[in-house]
Amino acid sequence: MAFVEQLIANLLYGAILGAVYGLATMGLSLIFGVLRIVNVGHGAFIMIGAFTAYWMFTLYGISPVLSLPLAMAAGMIIGVAVYLVVVKRLVDAPELATLLAMFAIGIFIEEAAKQIWGANYVGYSWEIGSISLPFTEIPYTKLVAFISSILIAAAVYVWFRKTKLGKAVRAVVEDREGALTCGIDVNKIYALSFSLGIGLTVLSGVLVTLFTPVGINAYMGGEYTLKAFVIAVLGGLASPWGAFYAGFIFGLIENGSYTLLGLIPGVEPFGLTRFVSFVVLMLVLLLKPTGLLGGE
Amino acid sequence: MLLKLEGVTKRFGGLVAVNSVDLEVEEGEKLGVVGPNGSGKTTLYNLISGVYMPDEGRIFFEGKEITNLPPYDRTKLGIARTFQIPRPFGSATVRENVAIGAMFGMANAGVDEALEMADDMLKLVGIYDLKDKEAKLLTPLEKKLMELARALAMKPKLLLLDELLAGMNPANINEILELLDRVKKEENIAVIAMVEHLMHAITKFAERVVVMHQGMKLIEGPTMEVLNDPKVIEVYLGEKLNVG
Amino acid sequence: MKSYSPLITLLLAYLIMIAIGQSIPGMWQPVMLVIFYIAIGQALNVFLGMTGYVNFGYVALLGVGAYGMGVALGYYNELGLIPTLILGFILAAILALLVSAIVGGIALRLRGAYFAIATIGVNEGIKYLIMGAKIWGGSEGIVLSGILRKSFGAETMRFLSTTFADAGVIVVAIATGVVTAYILNSRLGYALIALREDEEAAKVMGINVTKYKQIAFMISCVLAGLIGATAWTLKLTYVFPQDVFAINYTVEAIVIVMLGGAGTLLGPLVGGLIYALLKYYLAIAFPGLQLLILAPLLIVVILLFPEGVVGYIAKKARGTRLENFVR
Repeated sequence: MAFVEQLIANLLYGAILGAVYGLATMGLSLIFGVLRIVNVGHGAFIMIGAFTAYWMFTLYGISPVLSLPLAMAAGMIIGVAVYLVVVKRLVDAPELATLLAMFAIGIFIEEAAKQIWGANYVGYSWEIGSISLPFTEIPYTKLVAFISSILIAAAVYVWFRKTKLGKAVRAVVEDREGALTCGIDVNKIYALSFSLGIGLTVLSGVLVTLFTPVGINAYMGGEYTLKAFVIAVLGGLASPWGAFYAGFIFGLIENGSYTLLGLIPGVEPFGLTRFVSFVVLMLVLLLKPTGLLGGE
Repeated sequence: MLLKLEGVTKRFGGLVAVNSVDLEVEEGEKLGVVGPNGSGKTTLYNLISGVYMPDEGRIFFEGKEITNLPPYDRTKLGIARTFQIPRPFGSATVRENVAIGAMFGMANAGVDEALEMADDMLKLVGIYDLKDKEAKLLTPLEKKLMELARALAMKPKLLLLDELLAGMNPANINEILELLDRVKKEENIAVIAMVEHLMHAITKFAERVVVMHQGMKLIEGPTMEVLNDPKVIEVYLGEKLNVG
Repeated sequence: MKSYSPLITLLLAYLIMIAIGQSIPGMWQPVMLVIFYIAIGQALNVFLGMTGYVNFGYVALLGVGAYGMGVALGYYNELGLIPTLILGFILAAILALLVSAIVGGIALRLRGAYFAIATIGVNEGIKYLIMGAKIWGGSEGIVLSGILRKSFGAETMRFLSTTFADAGVIVVAIATGVVTAYILNSRLGYALIALREDEEAAKVMGINVTKYKQIAFMISCVLAGLIGATAWTLKLTYVFPQDVFAINYTVEAIVIVMLGGAGTLLGPLVGGLIYALLKYYLAIAFPGLQLLILAPLLIVVILLFPEGVVGYIAKKARGTRLENFVR
C-alpha cells in the first residue's frame, strides 16, 4: 500500500532529521539549565551556522563536515562575546530583562546578516550519492548529518562525564543551588556553558543545511527557534540529554503529521505541519509542563 | 473552634517536614509555636496559609474544610500571615502594599476605602511617615512592621506571625506585643506567633504554647508549664531557656 | 484617592499631536504613525507592563483583529455599510478574545519563562493555520479595495480608508489610554502590581493571580485586535497573513513599552513618540536599517534604564507637585 510505504519512509526521514533537531536544541537546554536564561534568539545562531556551511562550500569547496569544527569555534567566540557584553550584566536581573535582551540579540544578528549577505534565499548542493532502501532513497548527505549529530552528542556526553570542567557544568545543571554553594566558580561556568551552548547551536546550523539546501536566509532561524522550543519543552527544558532524545520524537511527530495531513483534501500540509508543532507545544505545556522526559 | 488540623503531614522528597500534626486554635486565642530551626514551623505555616497542600491529613477553618483550598480563598475566610523574610511588593509604595492587603484580604475593600484603611494601619504600627516610600527601600525592621500592617489591614480572624519579633530590640518588642494585645481585644483576632528563640517574648504574649521538634508536635500546654518541661529543655540542647 | 490627573497629560498630548497633524502640511502621516505606535505600546503595556510577563505572540492579536474586520467587510458586506463595520469591530474583538482565552487559559498557568516560550509559537501557529488550512483566502489573504468599491462606491471606500480609519485608530488609542488609567486605579491594577512583584506573596495576600493575569491578558489582546482592525484592515484595505503576522510589530511594541517605562500610564506615550519619530526619520536616512539600530537600542535600555523614561521621571517626581501628572 503506497500510503503505508510513504508513511514509513517519512518516519524514517523524521528520525534522521530528529537527530539534527535534537543536537540543534541541546545548546538551548544547556544555557537554560545552567543560567536559567531562555535564549529566544536561538534561531539566529542556527542561521550563522548555515551561512558558515554555505560560504565554506561555495567559496572554498570545503565540505560541510569540515565546516563543523569551524562553526563550533566561531559559535563559541560569539557566545563568549555575547556573554561578556550583555548576559553577564543580566544574570541577576528580572526574567523579563534577559528574555528581551536575548530577543534583541537575535534580531540584531538577523538584521546584520541581512545587511551582509542579503535577503535572498541561497543554497548549495553537496552531491555524494544516495543509498537505496526498499521504500525510499536516502541521500548520503542526510546520513552524514544523522551520524555527525549522534557522534557530536556522544562527544558532549563524554565531555560532561569525564572531564573536570564538564562535571562542574553538569553539577550546576543537576543541582544548581548545591553546586553554587560548594565553591564552583560560577562566572566561569556561566561563560563556558553559554559559549558551549551557542557553539553547539551554530554547529547544528551547518547540519541543518544538509536538509534544506536552498533554504538559507537571514530569517531562516525563526522556524528553528519555534521547533527548538517545542523540543526543549518536550525534553524538560533544562536537560541537554532530554532535548536530544526529544529531537527524535519531534522529528517523528513532524514527518508523521505531514504525511497524514497530506491526506486531507484542500489544505496545504507544509503550513499545517508548522501549526501542528505549535499545538504540540501547547499540549505539552498544558498536560506536563515539566516535559515528557523531564522529572518533577 | 477557629482552626483545626488533623494528622497533617507534608513531605519533601524523603524528608518529612511536618509529621502528622494535630492542632486546635480557639477564636481570639494567643498561641505560641516554638521550635528550633528546621523543626517544621514554617512548613506548618505554609500548610495553614495554603502555600503548600498537605500530603495527608485535613485542615478546617471555622468548621469548614480548607485542606485543598488555594491560598487566596483562605485569605477571604480570614487567614492572614507575615513572612519570616519579609516579602514586600518592592516597587509599590508602603501605603499601596498595605492597601493591597485591605483589598484582597477578608476586608475585601474597594480602592479608596483600602487606601484609608492602609493609612490607619500604618499609624497603628507607627510607620505612617514612610507611606510614600517604595517598599523595597525600607529597612528590614520597617519591612516587618509594614507586613504586620498589611496583614492587619486584611481584617483576619487568624493572624500568623512568622518570626515577627526576631531582630527587634526589647522596646520594639514591647510595643508590638502591646499592639497585638490591643487589636486582639478590639477585633478578637486569634494570633499564632512563631519564634525560634525569644522565649521571653513568648511568655509575655502567649497563653498556650506548642513546641515543634523534627516535624512533630513535641508538647503543648500552658506557656510556663511547657517551657519548663524537661523534654523541651532537651530539644534546645542545653540552650538556656530565658523564660524570665 | 488615586488620581486620574496623568490621564489629562495623556489626552492633552493626543490633542496636541492631532492639532499639529491637521495644521502643519505633511505632518498628518508622521502623526498617525506616532499614534499607531503609542496605541500598540499602550495595549501591550496593559499586560507586559503590569504583570511582567512577556507576550511574544502579541502581533497575532493585531492580526486576528485585522482578520475580524477583513472577514466582515469581505464576506458580509451585503448587510450594509454600518452593520458591516459594527460586525467587523465585534468580530475583531471576539477573535482576539477567543485567541487570548485559549492561549491564556493554557499558558498563564505557567510562570515567567515558560509563558514566554508558549507565546513564541502563537503568531506562527495562527499564521500557518490560516495559510495551511486555506482559511479566509489562505496565503492570498483578503483584498478589499475592489469589494468595497463595488458594494459601497469609490467615495465611501476612500472615506473609510482615510478619515474613518484614522479616526478609528485615534479613538482606539485614546480608549487604550483610558482603560490603562482605569486599571491603574482599580483593584485589578493593585492585584497586577502585587503579582508582578511577588507572585507567591500575592497569592497569600488573597490575590487569585491566574484570574487577574488572564483578565489583563484578555484586555490587552482585545485592544490589540481593535488596533489591527482599524490601523490595518480599514486603512490598508487588505489583509495578508504575511503582513499582519509580522513579528517586528511585537518587537516594536516591546521596545516602546520598555523605552517609556513598563507599567506606567505615560510610558507608551513617551516610548511611542521617541520610537516612531526615530523610526520615521531613520527610515528616510537609513532605509531598511531600522531593526538593526533598534535591537541594540533595546539592549541599551534594558542594561542602563530598566525603568524607562517615565519610570525614571516618576521616581524623581515623587513628593513634588509634578507627581500627580506623571505616572
